Amino acid sequence: MPAAPLPEFSRSVKLKYVKLGYQYLVNNFLTFLLVPAMATVALELVRLGPDEILAKWRSLNLDLVEILASALLIVFAATVYFMSRPRPVFLVDYACFKPPCYCRVPSASFMEHIRLLNLDDPKSVQFQTRILERSGLGEETYLPPANHFIPPNPTMEASRAEAQLVIFSAIDDLIRKTGLKPKDIDILVVNCSLFSPTPSLSAMIVNKYKLRSNIRSFNLSGMGCSAGLISIDLARDLLQVHPNSNALVISTEIITPNFYPGKQRSMLLPNCLFRMGAAAILLSNRRREARRAKYRLVHVVRTHKGADDRAYLCVYEEEDPQGHSGISLSKDLMAIAGEALKSNITTIGPLVLPVSEQLLFFFTLVGRKLINPKWKPYIPDFKLAFEHFCIHAGGRAVIDELQKNLQLSPEHVEASRMTLHRFGNTSSSSLWYELNYIESKGRMRRGDRVWQIGFGSGFKCNSAVWKCNRTIKTPVDGPWADCIHRYPVDIPEVVKF
Amino acid sequence: MTAGGRRVTVYAKSTAVSGTPVRPGKTYPLSSLDHLMGRHTLHLVFYYRPGPTLDRDGLKESLSEVLSHYPAATGRLSRGEDGGWIVKCNDAGVRLLDARANVTLEEWLGSASAEEEMELAYWEPMGDDPSIWSPYYIQITEFEDKAFAIGLSCTHMHADPTCATLLVRAWADSHRRACIAYAPFLHPPAFLPRPDPRPSHPLLSLKSSSAPFASNSKMSSATFRFSDLAVKSLLADLQPDASPFSALAALFWSRIARAAGVPPGPGELTLVVDVRKRMHAPLPHGFYGNALHFSRARADLAAGVAHVVDELGRHVAGLPEDEVWAAAEWAHERRHRGEEAFQMYGPELTCFALDHLMAYGAAFEKEGEGGRPAHVSYRVGGAEGEGLVVVLPAAEEGAARTVMVTLPEEVAKTICRDDAILRYGPTVMFAGRV
Repeated sequence: MPAAPLPEFSRSVKLKYVKLGYQYLVNNFLTFLLVPAMATVALELVRLGPDEILAKWRSLNLDLVEILASALLIVFAATVYFMSRPRPVFLVDYACFKPPCYCRVPSASFMEHIRLLNLDDPKSVQFQTRILERSGLGEETYLPPANHFIPPNPTMEASRAEAQLVIFSAIDDLIRKTGLKPKDIDILVVNCSLFSPTPSLSAMIVNKYKLRSNIRSFNLSGMGCSAGLISIDLARDLLQVHPNSNALVISTEIITPNFYPGKQRSMLLPNCLFRMGAAAILLSNRRREARRAKYRLVHVVRTHKGADDRAYLCVYEEEDPQGHSGISLSKDLMAIAGEALKSNITTIGPLVLPVSEQLLFFFTLVGRKLINPKWKPYIPDFKLAFEHFCIHAGGRAVIDELQKNLQLSPEHVEASRMTLHRFGNTSSSSLWYELNYIESKGRMRRGDRVWQIGFGSGFKCNSAVWKCNRTIKTPVDGPWADCIHRYPVDIPEVVKF
Repeated sequence: MTAGGRRVTVYAKSTAVSGTPVRPGKTYPLSSLDHLMGRHTLHLVFYYRPGPTLDRDGLKESLSEVLSHYPAATGRLSRGEDGGWIVKCNDAGVRLLDARANVTLEEWLGSASAEEEMELAYWEPMGDDPSIWSPYYIQITEFEDKAFAIGLSCTHMHADPTCATLLVRAWADSHRRACIAYAPFLHPPAFLPRPDPRPSHPLLSLKSSSAPFASNSKMSSATFRFSDLAVKSLLADLQPDASPFSALAALFWSRIARAAGVPPGPGELTLVVDVRKRMHAPLPHGFYGNALHFSRARADLAAGVAHVVDELGRHVAGLPEDEVWAAAEWAHERRHRGEEAFQMYGPELTCFALDHLMAYGAAFEKEGEGGRPAHVSYRVGGAEGEGLVVVLPAAEEGAARTVMVTLPEEVAKTICRDDAILRYGPTVMFAGRV
């Protein structure tokens, strides 16, 4: 999406004020209309005086039946309106898993393991070194204990152990923060793309916490890194149907079974970027949670580009010629991500953008169609719609691409970059680590709108829009508590090992 | 990995990293005394009885915490500009081995041979590429009765026995959630030459210029545990106000000399002592690296053991600091000439004074006596020749000592049956070929 050419400085300053004025005018158009109208009516009433008003009222000659009928009509219309509004969904609180210190993976240790496991293949070592140098990951990301072995030891038991460690820690943390009683959980949604044992991870949670027998539990697997927002969407839909309910959503990715031991280059990237993480989120539609809830869910928009073969095949799990199973990432991943994003923002734009931007976009579109196809397409300024952005920390390239496409400043993508540096790509839970970063920095105020964007295999681009319900005070209890003072850090383009 | 009849199986190798990252770019140059020890390796085994907090995962967690204090241990060796070794503190971690033994601890202590004992301290020598070779190997072996053995092998260039012991002790302190009693002290300039260096070390000059030892005789090892009463009675027999080390060293020297067929008369013994606390400006216990001094003691073996005790005691007590500095300067000069390391322990008979070690204070469990190690073994790799006698502390407090000998096979057999030694009722453990 090419940007419009920048005008020179003096003209740009005037243009900035013109643009501001235009935005204020259009976005508050109704206010501008209503205020004079109400003022006129009020003046009129004051001018007429109470006796005159009463005389006018009597001249209408309304009898009791008519009054009752109109009152009934008003009440009926109001009821229909209030009943047809969707139930508000509140995010009461969430907890992110902070891995234990012995799971840490320093870059030197990671590189040493790669060299020890590939003594006969220096080219593969060189390729993985290059990936790690440019990855944007720091020295404190975490891998599960099974991946610290030489060679890694991905047994079923180790995978279950990792699942129990990450999920139960996150849920215990959430219970401690919110005072939630396990018997009060009505809906349980778990998403974990690559590990799907029998019984499911949701059954594992029901068993550990002794949840009710009539719980509505769902386990989403295979849906990629954007599955976190899919779970939120599912929980929201369920909360529309069931009144007065709590929904517990767990987003995680279990790393243990997915170490790729082969040599195929397109499949080595996940080894280098994916790290251990999990998030537990408590959603509710209960009125009494409205006071202490942190956020309210405003929109969820899901876009699926799977109908296009290129998009469907760009993240594909298959066996390499040696028989090792791995996830192959195609070279046009970034291009497809860009297209999916465009598709998503075309849907979300009208829902969130202020009228000023929508009008500009509409007129530019009309102009391009009717007047001159050579006009540059207008890219709406999403910074007017949102205060905070949480872009899935899928990799440095993803964040760079989105920063360019949405014309975001470095401050807007800081949460994503710092989460990638501190925790690596924790897949579906990374959005929650990023949100926690923003809160820990003390930037989350009441009324702020947050846009969470997730990408995943399929190819899917999902967005969620949250509105902050109450200003969140620092210090925030979370995975960033002990290190937030060190951030943001400057991440060099290439780190030399 | 189990062969027929092996009681210890190493089933997994991993890397243990520190909990907090190391500041990037940190390096630690090895001192000249460190470089001297290039031919040798150190192997320690700490045995622990079963305890409530003693489990593999907990041990790994506390190891990660303690490694945060040892950036030099988690680094990798590389050649510096002057050709010497420096440690790049790149945070790569230490190798950790997981093993299982299918006997109980008591059975093992009663029946294991010297060779078997070294299966508890896994070691891989440096290959072609020091940048991916861990200088430390830590093995956690679980016995059938949930007892544990912690084996630590390292290159002698990185650590001497005091340093290695205090690493395990710091690990134990960390596991118990106590504060680390003897924190590591990294101080590379500790043994830099004096303003007017007077390098001289007649013993080491002689050793370095002699031809390397070539012998076809195998070495054997044995461990003698002397109780408090035994050592006290030995002292009463020989020299009541001597130190246990002098008495035991003199006893073993005279018996070994006799068993090896050396004619009685004036003889010399190489003594190795730790000099951390013998300097005018003493180094802290936790000084990281080598702080050992090799010297030659003379005594007339024909004049009786009591005389030898006297001579040895006098030698150890009167070690002049000047000699230590001269030795360090000699080593420094040698390193700058670019000469390689040579055999330090041996080939002549060497005696190592290690009874100052705080090994038995390394308790992983909180409750009183229960957490202290049941036994601690030390082995020095590369000590071929006439043999090595190491005087170590023992589990029992007071004057009790453990003496570990590595001798040529025939001499070792004789010593294990020697009346003069067995008179004091030592428990003989871990005997056999190495």
